[in-house]
Amino acid sequence: MTAIAGFSEMVTRNLRQSGIFAAFVLIVLLFSLLNSNFLSPGNLTNIVLQYSYILILAIGMVMVIVLGQIDLSVGSVVALTGAVAAVLVIRNGAPWWVGALAALAVGGLVGMWQGFWVAYVGIPGFIVTLAGMLLFRGMTYRVLDNVSLSPFGGTYYDVANGFSTNGWFGGYGVDVFTLVIFGLAVVGYAVSQWRTRMGRIAYQQVVESMPIFVAKIAVVAVVVMAFGYQLAQYRGLPNILILLAVLILAYSVITQRSVFGRHIYAIGGNLNAAQLSGVKVRKVTFWTFVNMGLLAGVAGVVFSSRMNGAQPSAGNMFELDAIAAAFIGGASTTGGVGRVTGAMTGALIMAVMSNGMQLMGVPQSIQQMVKGLVLLLAVAFDVWNKRRADAR
Amino acid sequence: MTDATRVPLLSMRGISKRFGGVEALAGVDLDVHRHEVVALVGDNGAGKSTLAKMVAGVLTPDTGLVEIEGVPVSIPTPAAAHALGVATVFQDLALCDNLDVTSNLFLGRELRDARGVRDDERMEQVARQILRDLTSRIPSVRVPLAHLSAGQRQSVAIARTLIGSPRIVVLDEPTAALSVAQTAEVLMHIEGLRDLGLGVVLISHNMTDVRSVADRIEVLRHGRNNGSFDARTTGYERILGAITGAVRADLGVPPVAAAS
Ligand SMILES: Nc1ncnc2c1ncn2[C@@H]1O[C@H](COP(=O)(O)OP(=O)(O)OP(=O)(O)O)[C@@H](O)[C@H]1O
Ligand SMILES: [Mg+2]
Repeated sequence: MTAIAGFSEMVTRNLRQSGIFAAFVLIVLLFSLLNSNFLSPGNLTNIVLQYSYILILAIGMVMVIVLGQIDLSVGSVVALTGAVAAVLVIRNGAPWWVGALAALAVGGLVGMWQGFWVAYVGIPGFIVTLAGMLLFRGMTYRVLDNVSLSPFGGTYYDVANGFSTNGWFGGYGVDVFTLVIFGLAVVGYAVSQWRTRMGRIAYQQVVESMPIFVAKIAVVAVVVMAFGYQLAQYRGLPNILILLAVLILAYSVITQRSVFGRHIYAIGGNLNAAQLSGVKVRKVTFWTFVNMGLLAGVAGVVFSSRMNGAQPSAGNMFELDAIAAAFIGGASTTGGVGRVTGAMTGALIMAVMSNGMQLMGVPQSIQQMVKGLVLLLAVAFDVWNKRRADAR
Repeated sequence: MTDATRVPLLSMRGISKRFGGVEALAGVDLDVHRHEVVALVGDNGAGKSTLAKMVAGVLTPDTGLVEIEGVPVSIPTPAAAHALGVATVFQDLALCDNLDVTSNLFLGRELRDARGVRDDERMEQVARQILRDLTSRIPSVRVPLAHLSAGQRQSVAIARTLIGSPRIVVLDEPTAALSVAQTAEVLMHIEGLRDLGLGVVLISHNMTDVRSVADRIEVLRHGRNNGSFDARTTGYERILGAITGAVRADLGVPPVAAAS
């Protein structure tokens, strides 16, 4: 028996997932109506470049949150890692990759430091990373001697601002390489959705009816290709988008298909049960924080490259963007629930809102208020949705 | 099967454990042989779960000796217990509500393929097989635990003991949330384990269940051994007396050495 769910039932069943997606689409539509420039090739490229750091941080953050922890230090770590790279590359003339690797190494060390206190000493992540927020901010000031360093220039600058693959496959005014990559992405998405569907049918789980399934894929394909076409018209595929795609794919696999990922969910779902089942809780906790540190290092490189320099106050409040992205994307405040893809949608909502409001000239103060309310409403919607499900 | 000199599968000698001021266990002995179901009974707080957790690698004894097949062992972690062939159903079940049935069955002992990658397909196959064998009423191996009833959850916890062919199975009140029919099923399952040659420790407050399935009944009282009885021949009052303290251990019948 294969159950075929109707559209409305499917929507209610996945209210959380479809809700956040619908919200994202609505926000995009709203801003494109309010501002004709919003969907322009230049601005779409700009959104990717400007807010990539939120997406990178949100990947690590959603894992920490699923684990049942939190990391408040990532903004400071972004600043510290960028500062280390700047001192090496700008002040000491080291090659760009030495700066980038050093930033990653510092991020990893920071993660080890915090992971040690959380996993092996047993101090809540909230406290450890609150301390880290101060500690690493202070270190950033010392590393930079209280002054800003710029410019990086050269390859380091291209990490977050370049379009290295532009023109690989030629094309007049429209970069063919970009279109090919986006086409492959759509095909990959369709194939994976098809396989999931077949698997569900094999195990007699509920799937959408065929027309809805095809329509869903078609909508995604159109949206993705439209986005790709806009990028191709501008300067092609930003390097940063390639980096993001690799990270998102890799971390989706790690969280959904690896033993390590499963253990993160187990610890967040029921710490005691995980322990009794033989999950190495300390080890998994430690490495989840190391991973967060590493990704903060990646974000540090990306952000300093984007800014073409390092400032002592860089990355201020980034942790809040990343945390908000994870929660808007459906992570549970009590741990055990949340997905990388959800956090990415949450991060895109944050990015699109920031960019859209900026284009419209909304003052910073109002922007903050709006973002705060969106976060509150998203989590309130979650709570309401959960209660409704429990009451059935 | 009545050879008195054979080495017990599990042997615990002089086990003591304190929690601060509470003496949970004081010099407890326990033997479990192959093909034997040993019931561990006693009042609330007698120390039954504490003893079970030591076999499961959750707690370590302050003093005392644990041997498995005559070899002294220390069981510092649940993973070590699993490696030694000990499987446990904990009193509070220890399941993750956010994970599906298959994930819970294999938690902490996930199967991997030749490349070392998590093998979801094989785990799901095994899970379906096991649940079919248990004739459990679980709708799908992909349903999250949060959606299961108390009895279904208990079935999943019991099914966990079938992963990785254990030698010793410890069940801490495995039938507490079960219907009459499901209880009968679990008892049959326990007999199945005995027939396979496993040693089973069954902790339960239900004397009817205990006497119908156990070979030997060990009574704990205030963290001490308070009698060992043949489950088939000993009357209900006798066991109750040992549990409540009306009968002293040293006046009880001599321990029954072997089973069936
Ligand atoms: N982690 C702990 N910390 C402090 N005291 C504990 C702990 N675990 C058990 N105890 C104490 O040890 C004693 C034995 O507890 P245990 O759980 O082994 O009893 P039990 O025989 O399983 O009881 P029940 O039938 O109620 O499950 C009790 O007095 C209990 O309060
Ligand atoms: Mg108990």
